[in-house]
Amino acid sequence: MSASLLLQYVVIALAVIVSAWVVAKKQFPGGVRRLRMALAIPMLREGRPAWLRTLGRKIASQVRSGAGGCGGCRKCD
Amino acid sequence: MNAETLAPLRLALVGNPNCGKTALFNQLTGSRQKVANYAGVTVERKEGRLRGPSGRSYAVLDLPGAYSLNAASLDEAVARDVIRGCYPGEAAPDALVCVMDATNLRLHLRFALELRELGKPMIVAVNMMDAARRRGIGIDLVELERLLGVPVVETVAVRRHGARALVERIERMAEALHAPTQRLGKGADLHAETRRLLAATVRMPARTARIDDALDRWLLHPLFGLLALAMVMFLIFQAVYAWATPLMDLIDAGTAWLGETVGAVLPEGPLSSLLVDGIIAGVGGVIVFLPQILILFAFILALEESGYLPRAAFLLDRMMASAGLSGRSFIPLLSSFACAIPGIMATRSIQDPRDRLATILVAPLMTCSARLPVYALLIGAFIPQKTVWGVFNRQGLVLFGLYAAGVASALLVSWVMKQWRRDKGEHALLLELPSYRVPHARDLLIGLWERAMIFLKRVGGIILALTVLLWVLLYFPNGGADVTQSLAGRIGQALSVVFAPVGFNWQICIALIPGLAAREVAVSSLATVYALSTADDTAAAQALAPLINDGWSLATALSLLVWYIYAPMCISTLATIKRETNSWKQMAGATGYLFALAYAAAFATYQVAVLLGAG
Repeated sequence: MSASLLLQYVVIALAVIVSAWVVAKKQFPGGVRRLRMALAIPMLREGRPAWLRTLGRKIASQVRSGAGGCGGCRKCD
Repeated sequence: MNAETLAPLRLALVGNPNCGKTALFNQLTGSRQKVANYAGVTVERKEGRLRGPSGRSYAVLDLPGAYSLNAASLDEAVARDVIRGCYPGEAAPDALVCVMDATNLRLHLRFALELRELGKPMIVAVNMMDAARRRGIGIDLVELERLLGVPVVETVAVRRHGARALVERIERMAEALHAPTQRLGKGADLHAETRRLLAATVRMPARTARIDDALDRWLLHPLFGLLALAMVMFLIFQAVYAWATPLMDLIDAGTAWLGETVGAVLPEGPLSSLLVDGIIAGVGGVIVFLPQILILFAFILALEESGYLPRAAFLLDRMMASAGLSGRSFIPLLSSFACAIPGIMATRSIQDPRDRLATILVAPLMTCSARLPVYALLIGAFIPQKTVWGVFNRQGLVLFGLYAAGVASALLVSWVMKQWRRDKGEHALLLELPSYRVPHARDLLIGLWERAMIFLKRVGGIILALTVLLWVLLYFPNGGADVTQSLAGRIGQALSVVFAPVGFNWQICIALIPGLAAREVAVSSLATVYALSTADDTAAAQALAPLINDGWSLATALSLLVWYIYAPMCISTLATIKRETNSWKQMAGATGYLFALAYAAAFATYQVAVLLGAG
């Protein structure tokens, strides 16, 4: 596989990951919230390195209640 | 202590429906919440920030309109609970700003008196003073302030700086919060006190609303009124086609040019295919419908502002009651033309739980703006642009027919529901008819701008994301060589077994899946599928309409149009039904009946069209 083709596949993979995240956030906000909490809690445990706890706080801080429902049209915001 | 460091004072904007609370809220906080000239636009509390000239910060709450603290509907209950400090997770407001419509003080003063009895610090904002003056209504604000025992200011919420006096009074009040100096006490007759205040402070002209009366004589006439309503709706759909075409052609040409340019610059490979066949073809296929959406909403916003819509509700009350709905269902159903979600939420203003449920269940049948791109694509591809009876655009006629079919279906479904339920009683409609108003260009432009932004955010968000995902499923595992053997192609072919009786091919079946997230994605999905399926690059770059015109029969196109009248596939709408009814059963029932209706109607359409030789 040439370097150019490899680079193209890397770009596509990134686009797919971002797209999947956008769709999940819009369509399944409750599931995404639970996933974020599940990821953040182990990072915030005592004894974890500072950088990991900062990352955990960052993930957890974006979890807000009442985010669900609208799922796209944003008319009800 | 510095004013800037003080904790924000919590102010609640309260008052009867349609007195301009949200317009005032937008003025005070710089927000852009929806305003319209009818009751029940706000059904939830909204919060914004105001910074006064002193630097002090205020948390401003915009509450749903209420006629009394004895709540009769869900939205009134929200207002009552917030005012009393019983709303979950919401601290009680420090002070109230009671907003009154200066043209209708007889109604609004009574609620102001009821609020004053709570003993909270309060300011009365007499709004729409410009309209009152134009009608010759004189209000002695100084005397009103003395008799009420609370500060009274005049505001014109729709005018720039129209709330300046209110901000000044809020700042003065914030220095020292005082309870009202006058109270009536328990058992007092609020109506008698209202009459006393009116007599002392308001001077009414002999005839206050001559224009309103003259217009209402025609527009509320049982026959001419209905004819006028049908004419207005008819003209709107004509304009959607007649005016949008030049702009749509421009966007179409721009998209084609962009696709060809990007295709020429990038080397052949997956990335070029993703950009040209996926993103540009898919997103461009949807964005082209922006002019039509904006023209439709320009008319809807103008009607909202004019005060005509509650009259339409009044006119349709009898028809809606015989179908098992009430005139109160009109506004939620009308909101559903934009999107079923705010429409379903707007049902909170319906007092009767039975009517509310019926309205929630039929709201998805109203043609939301997300369906417009699908309709426009199919009509553009299969209905020739000809003039009918020398005046009317045939494509506009078909679009009008599709919207009318959605409304007729909603009435039919609610009528069937009425036959099933035990209580067949009808509820009288009590509706406040606002004065007619010439729509403000600024409000219209803001409304259109917001509509455009909502659409473009959807295009750049969920539609783009789904287009990328769909392209991946269409491109792999064979590098886009044979789309029928791709992952999505196989899914589409498996589904086509179920949908063959309604005439859907595998390409349509693929488009139905991402359409669950947003209906317009069906268009972008079709554009991507056909762009990848077409070996010829020039053909792939052209608009989608000629491609599907070549590949589909008229029967298939008609069947898909009819499918989208009922289109049960919108996850967000179903989630909102679950949330508002708090019942999985109702949500499952709505999904089931919408799917069954869509399938049965599409099946009948396809089979009849084939029999008539359109297959």
